[in-house]
Amino acid sequence: MRTQMLAAVLRARPATTRAAPRFIRMSSSAHGQETFEAFTERYVNFFENAEDLFEVQRGLNNCFAHDLVPAPSVVEAAIRAARRVNDFATAVRVFEGVREKVENNQQYQSYLDELKGVREELGISTVEELYRQ
Amino acid sequence: MQALRLARPRVSLRTGVRTVTAAANSSAAHAAPQTTTAASAIPLSNVEAQWERLSSEEQLAVHQQLEEVQKRDWKMLSIDEKKAAYYVAFGPHGPRKPTTPPGGSLKIALGTLGLIGLTGAIFATIRATAPPPPRTINKEWEEAANQRAIENKMDPLSGPSSEGYTGKGFVTHK
Repeated sequence: MRTQMLAAVLRARPATTRAAPRFIRMSSSAHGQETFEAFTERYVNFFENAEDLFEVQRGLNNCFAHDLVPAPSVVEAAIRAARRVNDFATAVRVFEGVREKVENNQQYQSYLDELKGVREELGISTVEELYRQ
Repeated sequence: MQALRLARPRVSLRTGVRTVTAAANSSAAHAAPQTTTAASAIPLSNVEAQWERLSSEEQLAVHQQLEEVQKRDWKMLSIDEKKAAYYVAFGPHGPRKPTTPPGGSLKIALGTLGLIGLTGAIFATIRATAPPPPRTINKEWEEAANQRAIENKMDPLSGPSSEGYTGKGFVTHK
């Protein structure tokens, strides 16, 4: 009975009270865009807090999967994380990943120069140094 | 990947294997990473050459040995220990094995070119020994066939004997 009355009231509602739907939005402009600085900070934090080798390698996979070259601070955090979990090979692999991501040898060389201090501090060789004939 | 080729010749696999296990046992027994440096018996320098042939237990022993090695200061590691650690973790074996051996693509390219040349030679040979084309396939015969079609009023609506016909009729040669 009550539901019938309710339905009648609802039906009798004047059409002018209906608002136009407001849920229209641009389909391609609603994604959040992470800035490069935010990305860098996120991954530096990630690598500083990484506990084990799996976490470090998972973070590296994610970090190097983007369409950008990670900042030197990220690379430094990553190799320090590799040092913390005692995996030399991963530290070498980080530089190999940088070499894959940069556009040319010059950029790779500038990464190596930028990170020369930490490389010498930790004793990391690059693949080129290891397999130089 | 060329840099990762195994330049090192394989020396006396049997003794190498024995020293791997011996070294692993000794390191497990002493449980002190520094003791592993002393013995020249540790064949970490030769891990790259024999890795594929080691059994899974021996690979595990090498893994554990390398774990101990990498806990030390990395500046103190020898180049062979570094190479071995890198090779075992990321070297071209297992899922990272290259799908073609070195020089394979050149071999494939040369083989493909050779096969194409061979087929060309076979084709030319068959064509050279083929009988001449039939006597009806030439321009004179086709023009004569056109003449005969007009004489016999062939296809008077749209064909060779129709009014104002501009087509080629039976002529297929230039």
